[in-house]
Amino acid sequence: MVLTEATRVFWKEAFPFPEVSRDELNEINQFLGPVEKFFTEEVDSRKIDQEGKIPDETLEKLKSLGLFGMQVPEEYGGLGLSNTMYARLAEVIGLDASIAVTLAAHQSIGLKGIILAGSKEQKARYLPRLASGEHVAAFCLTEPASGSDAASIRTRATLSADKSHYVLNGSKVWVTNGGLANVFTVFAKTEVVDSDGSVKDKITAFIVERDFGGVTNGKAEDKMGIRGSNTCEVHFENTRVPVENVLGEVGGGFKVAVNILNSGRFSMGSVVAGMLKKLIGGNDRRVRLHEETVQQEPQDSGRRQACPRLGAPGPRLTLRLGGPGCPCSRSVLTVLTLQEKFALMAQKAYVIESMAYLTAAMLDAPGFPDCSIEAAMVKVFSSEGAWTCVSEALQILGGLGYMRDYPYERLLRDSRILLIFEGTNEILRMYIALTGLQHAGRILTARVKELKRGNVTTIMETVGQRLRDSLGRTVDLGLTGKLGVVHPSLADGAHKLEENVYYFGRSVETLLLRFGKTIVEEQLVLKRVANVLINLYGMTAVLSRASRSIRLGLRAHDHEVLLANIFCSEAYHQNLFILSQLDKHSPENLDDMVKKVSQQILEKRAYICTHPLDRTS
Amino acid sequence: MSWAQAILLARGASRGWGGICSTALTGAPFSQVPPQAPRGLRCSAAAHNPDSSLVPHPPEPPRRPVKALAVHEELFRPALDGARNKANFVRAVQNFTEYNVHKRGHVDFIYLALRKMREYGVERDLSVYNLLLDIFPKEVFRPRNIFHSIFLHYPRQQECGIAVLEQMENHGVMPNKETEFLLLQIFGRKSYPMLKLVRMKLWFTRFKNINPFPVPRDLPQDPVDLASLALRHMEPDLSARVTTYQMPLLKDSPDAMDPTETHIVGIQSPEQQSALARHDPARPIFVEGPFSLWLRDKCVYYHILRADLLPPEEREVEEIPEEWNIYYPMQLDLAYGRSSWDDYEFNIDEVEEGPVFAICVAGAHDQATLAKWIQGLQETNPALARIPVVFRLSGSSGELLPSSSELEEPPPPPPEGQEEDDSQQRQQQGQS
Repeated sequence: MVLTEATRVFWKEAFPFPEVSRDELNEINQFLGPVEKFFTEEVDSRKIDQEGKIPDETLEKLKSLGLFGMQVPEEYGGLGLSNTMYARLAEVIGLDASIAVTLAAHQSIGLKGIILAGSKEQKARYLPRLASGEHVAAFCLTEPASGSDAASIRTRATLSADKSHYVLNGSKVWVTNGGLANVFTVFAKTEVVDSDGSVKDKITAFIVERDFGGVTNGKAEDKMGIRGSNTCEVHFENTRVPVENVLGEVGGGFKVAVNILNSGRFSMGSVVAGMLKKLIGGNDRRVRLHEETVQQEPQDSGRRQACPRLGAPGPRLTLRLGGPGCPCSRSVLTVLTLQEKFALMAQKAYVIESMAYLTAAMLDAPGFPDCSIEAAMVKVFSSEGAWTCVSEALQILGGLGYMRDYPYERLLRDSRILLIFEGTNEILRMYIALTGLQHAGRILTARVKELKRGNVTTIMETVGQRLRDSLGRTVDLGLTGKLGVVHPSLADGAHKLEENVYYFGRSVETLLLRFGKTIVEEQLVLKRVANVLINLYGMTAVLSRASRSIRLGLRAHDHEVLLANIFCSEAYHQNLFILSQLDKHSPENLDDMVKKVSQQILEKRAYICTHPLDRTS
Repeated sequence: MSWAQAILLARGASRGWGGICSTALTGAPFSQVPPQAPRGLRCSAAAHNPDSSLVPHPPEPPRRPVKALAVHEELFRPALDGARNKANFVRAVQNFTEYNVHKRGHVDFIYLALRKMREYGVERDLSVYNLLLDIFPKEVFRPRNIFHSIFLHYPRQQECGIAVLEQMENHGVMPNKETEFLLLQIFGRKSYPMLKLVRMKLWFTRFKNINPFPVPRDLPQDPVDLASLALRHMEPDLSARVTTYQMPLLKDSPDAMDPTETHIVGIQSPEQQSALARHDPARPIFVEGPFSLWLRDKCVYYHILRADLLPPEEREVEEIPEEWNIYYPMQLDLAYGRSSWDDYEFNIDEVEEGPVFAICVAGAHDQATLAKWIQGLQETNPALARIPVVFRLSGSSGELLPSSSELEEPPPPPPEGQEEDDSQQRQQQGQS
């Protein structure tokens, strides 16, 4: 099978799990210390959430720690962190969602354009001040009338008569940091003369300073979560942007936007992993020690007196529940249905962590590899994981979790945005599936063409293969065994992964044969393809990481093996179900009915059924 | 002949037009009916002024011919206050039962009452129907043995009971438990009215909601409201906006008949609006109509603003540019398309039509009124100012023209005199 071959090539990268050198690790840890201390001691997330603003001194401290220029190259005054190190740092920054979002909007998308597409002069001019935090950056793409389609952007930049500058007009919505930023990456339509002489509207990216004039912003939006971050409308009115400030080529803004967005996503995985670990009760010694000191401080409110551990500021569940003096604790910990939730959280955290660091390492590999699918998969999986886990954590505490005195409702509100921004999960699933299918389609072109033409040998081959499959063949793609890369104690999971990969390859081939390029319209099919892909990537990451842990003899690797096996089994069965849904005429596939129902509802724009108490006579 | 006439009367009274072709109607073999001339289809052609409008008004319910007074007619004489309402109707029925302890002539009275219900506006009132059924003496008409139930027992009474139910059916009144109980007491379980009741109970529930586009039972009287209801009824897009371009002058104002001052109500959806904005100004658009739309017993005439279909060579194929969606590719770069075994499209011949840009309902159908509509449309559709508009108003809507409709009518009813003779004959038959 051609596709399984392609998977093997991919596994060469994913196995063994990438490592960082000792020196690098020491460097990260050294750097991590003060940041972690700052976040646990000085950042008051509750206050930030209530006041809807990050205090200035907190921002100053973040700047002095260098957190505004984490990925800016060192020559421009940044920290020049690799993707892996950035991911590690993001785990800590993720402890406060508002700060994480502010920083991410600044450097993951705000100034990323200058790093990716900026000229030397632009970099020298803007990066130093952005890296130091003197200037804050923002990314202006979305407009009131345009969603994901770049074609409907209305903001327009017109070249002045002397061709020295562009005049920018238009407004952008939902600009994170829009009120704080001094430097904006703005996308606008410009007239571009095509090679055949026709004039076309194309998107161009600009670096716009607030000082250029005509830049105003609306008042900060009142949001559900991440309330400390500043989101507002930004208006440009006859803003004069010098020609030198065109980012990339004139008319090449679309590619710039796509690159920025694709590169910005991978860090969400480690942010979520950090948050989940903290939720369960992080195993970092320093954090634990710190929290215990905090808990000894006297508490004032009545309920906190009664149940002192529940009043602790941190969101750590395990500490809260087991402790003495907490009457609600003992019973909770003996209820199996609640215990199970901890396993779920640990499993999700483990998978997200593995995926995030595998992706980061792949991005760090020499030669600017394109890992946008992987990054998108991490984003989708981690955001959904965060939402389920935080909701489950809140559930464990029952009524207490619902109270504003405790951080869980805030975490729940904050984590909801993860499924929406940087491309909604629905859109990213389309991206994952279509990019993957495009790749598979190229590999399979020759084969599909022969099948379509009715080449007898190819057809016989395929039929023979299917026959062998139906007689129950075991799939062995060489993950385990003597020369295998997966440890024998994970062999079960590895076999499941191999089987899934094999049958998924077959399904993809059938799908391409069935739909060809019209598969773009089959969005429900694409959603399933993306789900399988995400599961497969998760399985790969988990197996790779757990194998490494066993081989190195890391602490508690048996726990990791458990988690890895649980996830592989679950994902395997999920995949089997999805693959059976992808079959033509399968009873599991309810798409036709679902489509009908939704169409009828959308036609009437209402819930159609009559009330159960209604009668006709 | 007489039974047919009887049914004709009962039906004719209940529905304006109905029962015309009921010569084919079959029913119970005999009946006694007071003398009354059946109402033929009569068009108010004389009253209609062809100059006032291009289309006929929806047909008025035919006038009642002058006829001989029926038995018990005096009970329905207008009350002192002249109001014809439920209370007066109920009083009339009560008067009958009170003064007629032996219930003599109750069948005739019920037929009469059925005819009068519409006048009193109680034709949709279930309790009134139950009241009418209550006039029948109880237990008398119940079949006592199997032969009774095999051979129609008290046919005329059963016939009358069926007529009551029939009128209920025509007005969509669902019988309730009380109706059933009354019929059980009057005719027993094995009787034709009971059979009809059971069938009504079965089918009414199934047919009640069969129309996916329900029309409210009571249509608004105000022409503007009626027009907007009709427009909403035709327009599938829920986000379309109804605009009243001109309100009608008040009825009592001196020039109410001036056709330029009637109501003009239009509807346009955002999609139609953008389609109009994209329309090539070199191609004219047309105002066409009037077309008729029936809402229950009311007819509304509407006009459409439409364009011709573009010839195939001029149609622009809307391309999705490669750089369209920031997040995911909109096209796959593959050399093969959908295979034939996954193509579920049926082979349907579709007749393509040109786009419709707006619909309007106006009180008058002349060009001056419709030009006002186009003017009003220009406010929301600036592109309309550049597009030539051609008025293609047909003189007739192709519907129910009074002059030609007579050709399609069933043969005119026999002259009054003969009719009267007939009914007298009938009466004699009944009495004999």
